[in-house]
Amino acid sequence: MDTENLIAHARTRFDHAAARRTLKEKYQAKFIFAHAGGMWQAGPELLTTLKCCTGTVVILDLYETPVQVNTEEFYEQVLQRWQEQLNAWLVEYEALNKNR
Amino acid sequence: MTVGALIFARNNEQIDYVAMAQWSARNIERHLGIPTHIVSADTSLPNNTRHFSDVGNVTWHNLNRMDAYTLSPWDRTLVLDADYVVASDQLKVILEADQDFLAHRWAYDITGCNNFQGLNYFGDNSMPMWWATVMMFRRSKHAELIFKCMKMIRDNWSHYRALYKNSTITYRNDHALSIALGIVNGHTLDHAGIPWELASLTPEHMLTQVDQDRYRVDFINTENRPRWIELQQDFHAMGKQQLGEIVANNS
Repeated sequence: MDTENLIAHARTRFDHAAARRTLKEKYQAKFIFAHAGGMWQAGPELLTTLKCCTGTVVILDLYETPVQVNTEEFYEQVLQRWQEQLNAWLVEYEALNKNR
Repeated sequence: MTVGALIFARNNEQIDYVAMAQWSARNIERHLGIPTHIVSADTSLPNNTRHFSDVGNVTWHNLNRMDAYTLSPWDRTLVLDADYVVASDQLKVILEADQDFLAHRWAYDITGCNNFQGLNYFGDNSMPMWWATVMMFRRSKHAELIFKCMKMIRDNWSHYRALYKNSTITYRNDHALSIALGIVNGHTLDHAGIPWELASLTPEHMLTQVDQDRYRVDFINTENRPRWIELQQDFHAMGKQQLGEIVANNS
């Protein structure tokens, strides 16, 4: 077993994991936005919830406050925010991989 | 509804906080589109001494943050530390929140080198710490009580320090805020926070500015290897000296 090689590889993986975590923290914040007096995190969970309903419904926001939203209009907004930020995340992630 | 930002700043022997606040005010105007008032601290208040690893012991003029409620002319106010770098419009989100008061519950080290577990709690009983670095409040009974409570804690600091088994002699706004939030919320530890963590950069890392809203952090990682990351986001620069140099270069 080439332990030197193993250690070097493990260290690189550690650094890369730390950089990925930093990137994730940044984009977790960017998924958050305000709508209809509530605070929301754009992502698959919210999109799925909205897809399950039609018309005007009441759902809980990040602060567990019930908020009335129009599902169709809100779905479009959530999807747009989610994909915008994921695209930006992808660009940074690819740059990170290139640098390392 | 009127909205604005308050930055408390008073220079000490080592750090030009006023210049830092003026620079931050320009960033706030550019990214958030709101006016900023810089509050030069009340000189009649007693001062603390606080140690920073990059500049050593300095006089800590930071005792009047709880006056933010009475000093603010706005319906909704963002209170920021002078060393909080606004490099995006992220804070717009909390200005739209239907909440009376928000602050960060969690902070983390951007480089991943330091575990902030010890900084996210305080005292022997590991009380949850709320960071006073970024606070948002709207004019309300709830917010007013939080600030009044902070004032009561500051004025009776030795009592509250003993009560919460806090070994830190120096008064800190973060600790006063944490205690105040507990009291005002009926000791439930149930308070709405800013829904993301406070990105922080500790003083041992090297911070430089790449361009207007891009920064580079050079650091030695846990395996003792030099690494760097680039930041294009808001963050709390705990290294006052390096931020001071960036501000000086921008003046």
